[in-house]
Amino acid sequence: MWNNIYAWLDERLGFNDLYTNLLDRPEPKTSWWNTLGSASLFLFILQGLTGIFLTVYYTPSPDHAYDSITYIMEGVAFGWLIRGIHHWGATLMVLVVFIHMLRVFFTASFKYPRELTWLIGIGLFLTTLGMGFTGYLLPWNQKAYWATTVGTQIAGTVPFIGEFILKVLRGGPELSALTLQRFFAAHIWIIPAILAALIGIHLYLIIKHGESHFPEKED
Amino acid sequence: MNDETKKQINERYERKLEKGERFWPDTIFKDVVMSLGIFVLLLLLATFVGIPAEAKADPSDTSYIPRPEWYFLFLFKFLALYGQLPLIGKIEWLATVLVPTIALGVLTLIPFIEKSPHRHYGKRILPISIMIVMVVGIVLLTLTSEVPTVAEDGSTLLGTLQTISGIVIPTIAYLLLFAFKNNTRFMLWTTGLAAVSMIFLSGTVLALTPEKEAEEVEVATTLTEQITAGQDLYSIHCTECHGDDGSVAIIEGVEGLEGEKITPINSRDVLYTITDASMVELISYGRPNAGMPPYGKTYGGELSKSEIDYITIFMRYSWDDRFEAPVLPELFPPLADGEVPSYDVHIQPIVKRYCISCHRPGKDNNNYLMTTYEEILTTGDHAEFNVIAGNETSYLLQTIQGQPILDENGEEIISIMPPSRLLNENVVDVFMRWIMNGMPQTAADAAALSTP
Repeated sequence: MWNNIYAWLDERLGFNDLYTNLLDRPEPKTSWWNTLGSASLFLFILQGLTGIFLTVYYTPSPDHAYDSITYIMEGVAFGWLIRGIHHWGATLMVLVVFIHMLRVFFTASFKYPRELTWLIGIGLFLTTLGMGFTGYLLPWNQKAYWATTVGTQIAGTVPFIGEFILKVLRGGPELSALTLQRFFAAHIWIIPAILAALIGIHLYLIIKHGESHFPEKED
Repeated sequence: MNDETKKQINERYERKLEKGERFWPDTIFKDVVMSLGIFVLLLLLATFVGIPAEAKADPSDTSYIPRPEWYFLFLFKFLALYGQLPLIGKIEWLATVLVPTIALGVLTLIPFIEKSPHRHYGKRILPISIMIVMVVGIVLLTLTSEVPTVAEDGSTLLGTLQTISGIVIPTIAYLLLFAFKNNTRFMLWTTGLAAVSMIFLSGTVLALTPEKEAEEVEVATTLTEQITAGQDLYSIHCTECHGDDGSVAIIEGVEGLEGEKITPINSRDVLYTITDASMVELISYGRPNAGMPPYGKTYGGELSKSEIDYITIFMRYSWDDRFEAPVLPELFPPLADGEVPSYDVHIQPIVKRYCISCHRPGKDNNNYLMTTYEEILTTGDHAEFNVIAGNETSYLLQTIQGQPILDENGEEIISIMPPSRLLNENVVDVFMRWIMNGMPQTAADAAALSTP
């Protein structure tokens, strides 16, 4: 019976095509350095899943954000684990994405025909930093509050439009409930949407061109 | 790039593919192992390292030293060092905008800037050298981000060393690399020497930096901890006027507010009608017109946001009949027969709850302060009589047993303590045993004096 079901689904979904096009591809000999990209993807998915769990209890308002986090840590079953993974996953993701970028740079994998993959990759790196920056404020503790204060201040030093950027980031001249609200929106909707789209293009390009081989003398 | 080169590149890649592996299962196997390793690492970090506790955000606390996320620390440090430079150090946007924009711009456009089709390391000495100096710089700036540019004694030595390591050497290295970009050997030496000297200088800076004690932030996270913290804060700041159970309706014995009528704050009128948020604001701003001073740092008081939260939580769980308090730990462990209490374990928590509200600087207390062990034994207008080892006539023991101290004319010089309501018998017993046995400070000292 399973064979019948498989055949029925395969006719409609094309498992065999997926297999030949996505999985049964030739690759040059790869090393452990080549795993950092997929590790970044894994971390993104993990951050997404743990993040979804956290939004169940998290409240993005100055009056309740801190208490809702305390509740996640103390009151929710395994809340400490979910938040712990999300917290350390963020740190690790920045690190892994950065090292991945260095690897690509040192092996010159960004050269023909992978220039676009690199450009999208820079976008991914910046949006990852954006995720870190916006997520850092959400616990609404001292560290978060003041880190965001100095972070947005630096953006405010841009000549001519600095004040405008500062106000857009903070939702006013000072850090307030509005800042928390828009950082939250950016952190769970805007930036992840951009990140997911960029990952899609990045993956398509990798499958299209294959992973680059490690450069040798004649390259 | 002409079509001939492109064809060559593609042909070479085809040959590599022929000698290569299959994505499934060869490549993906490594990916899965790596991801699994990362997942295990995360589980370990979340379980055994956890997330350090932090106090609630407090916009009024300007003493907090702001620090950005760790991956922006290098930029923060770079800005600090850049500010040390003469002349251009004053033009902030050069460092905050121009330098990062150029760095990021070059990084983004590198496929179009580095046009040569060569990929091998030996044919890319210049870009690789630039990147190595950059990465070494970023790592070192991150590591030294905690070191101040100006030491406490005003010495700028560390700041100068950091500026040389973080800005001067990389700049010189970049200039040399571009000037001699056709001399491979020279470029390698420049990069090596720059990296080694930067590491050496930063290592020196780290070695010279006086070790700072890690600041422990005490944050009450569980409800029990919060209620206890709130009770201690309430005892210190509120008891004088509101009484230890919040029932005071007419203030007695407080200078300037004598006879003032107030609403008992443990009443339903207060607890049912004032929300937590309003309560916090009320404590923070006070009721200046009615004589209650502001307690929040925002309005010049001494309590942080978290501390006021704790007081509110304490009030709710103690007096609001809609809230059921969890079982709270005892103030001090009960004493067995013959056991001698110590300052650290018994006296300190008792004093904190019942005495410090008046016996601290700035209050009317005959200069008798009780915030530390030494103060309890040595301060006050009657220091020599207050606490006498092994003597039941110590003023402290007399007053807490309801015996005011009178002078030779029969005038009261010290009233009974605490003035409003006497302590429980078991608390008085702790003081009695402590003083009669010579006021041991630590639990170990007390244990040596105990008789089983």
